[in-house]
Amino acid sequence: MGEVIVITSGKGGVGKTTTTANVGTGLAMLGKKVVLIDTDIGLRNLDVVMGLENRIVYNLVDVVENNCRIKQALIKDKRYPNLYLLPSAQTKDKTAVSPEQMKKLADELREEFDYILMDCPAGIEQGFKNAIAGADRALVVTTPEVSAVRDADRIIGLLEANEITQTHLVVNRLRMEMVKEGNMMSSDDVVEILAIDLIGVVPDDEQIVISTNNGEPLVGSESKAGKAYMNICHRILGEDVPYLDLEETNGFFKKFASIFKK
Amino acid sequence: MKEKVVIKGTKSGIILVLSPEESFETLKMAVAEKFEKSADFLGEAQKAIQFQGKQLTDEQKMELVTVIQSHCRLSIVCIMENDDKLEKSFQETIAKQQSMANQNSGQFFKGNLRSGQVLDVETSIIIIGDVKAGAKVISRGNVIILGSLKGNVYAGADGNYNAFVVALDMDPMQIRIADTIARSPDKPKRSKTKETKIAFFENGNIYIEPLDRDVINDIRL
Repeated sequence: MGEVIVITSGKGGVGKTTTTANVGTGLAMLGKKVVLIDTDIGLRNLDVVMGLENRIVYNLVDVVENNCRIKQALIKDKRYPNLYLLPSAQTKDKTAVSPEQMKKLADELREEFDYILMDCPAGIEQGFKNAIAGADRALVVTTPEVSAVRDADRIIGLLEANEITQTHLVVNRLRMEMVKEGNMMSSDDVVEILAIDLIGVVPDDEQIVISTNNGEPLVGSESKAGKAYMNICHRILGEDVPYLDLEETNGFFKKFASIFKK
Repeated sequence: MKEKVVIKGTKSGIILVLSPEESFETLKMAVAEKFEKSADFLGEAQKAIQFQGKQLTDEQKMELVTVIQSHCRLSIVCIMENDDKLEKSFQETIAKQQSMANQNSGQFFKGNLRSGQVLDVETSIIIIGDVKAGAKVISRGNVIILGSLKGNVYAGADGNYNAFVVALDMDPMQIRIADTIARSPDKPKRSKTKETKIAFFENGNIYIEPLDRDVINDIRL
């Protein structure tokens, strides 16, 4: 029986889609059978981040409206054969799907996949309700900014109200040098405000921009964000992994060495 | 004078055409007379019957069946309603004829089609503007884009393999002609020069080539 995980944040632009793509890809690399579902109907992105946009023929709304079978709409990943994407529709809106339909879909996919990851849209309206409908657990993504943390707090409350109690926190885009100068909240500060268990801290990494533009998630790579995402995947599987030392900045000699590596 | 009652035979049944001007009583008499006369010709058989011309209630239909059976040796096994399937297949044939005519006519669209927008037309379409990534054009005929194509195009949507797509800057996400889909390569080769290209169907594949004289000669409308 598979597990349904919703990735949500409330605020837009904090990295839900990036996290979904990387965690999903990471779990697939660890040998799990994974399906990613983009529930952001009308503003789909996950297909672009995964680099699978050109393969879309059918989408989530087609599946729900029985225009096609689930198998027809699932897109197999370019790199990992046990990773699939169910893209969202671009020409419809959130009301095209109901929470009941999403729950039914999630339950059908549970039979065949180990992990079903729901990429939630920003906001707390219909799209959010659709995304959390079938979820067993949630990853709440936030950046260390008051606005994002405030929205994450609201989201955690809504998840609890919907009886999703297993929620974990991902602090994204952390900049260690700013934390040290006292200009940014640390991950501990965020955890203290939100009072849920931390599952990962992802540093702000320009490699993410490159990987998004190329449509290839960077999880598992040597970049810091890549390592951080891989650690999150291990923790989702229940393994105990120490947190990365984010303070270790790329010093002069390291940069020198990495040039030679290339 | 027009006949009050006409009997038409089909393979498995008979169609009884009743004049709508006459009263039911008159028609009943006429039916009795008609079937008595043709009793020998119709012989002994099991038939289905369909009533046309006049609107009848179910009781009236049953009454007529009794009249028929008592005046000849036919046995009526069922009453057929007006055939909807036949009607539908006529309509489909007409629609097909129309779409054939549509393929060679066209219309214009001015403006950019942006992500999430769909342009669905029965005829060929000439778009003066761009088709952006995430936008979609569906046409029963050909699609000509006087601008860049970065989105999805579906030409010959009712199964016409001769349909083609032309764009001044051809960089589509997906092109579909009839039931064949081609998608963009994962590692795009960025060509610096913009060149007018045509996408067409041949031997099970979709090809994209510069729009030169040879290709133009091969176009079939």
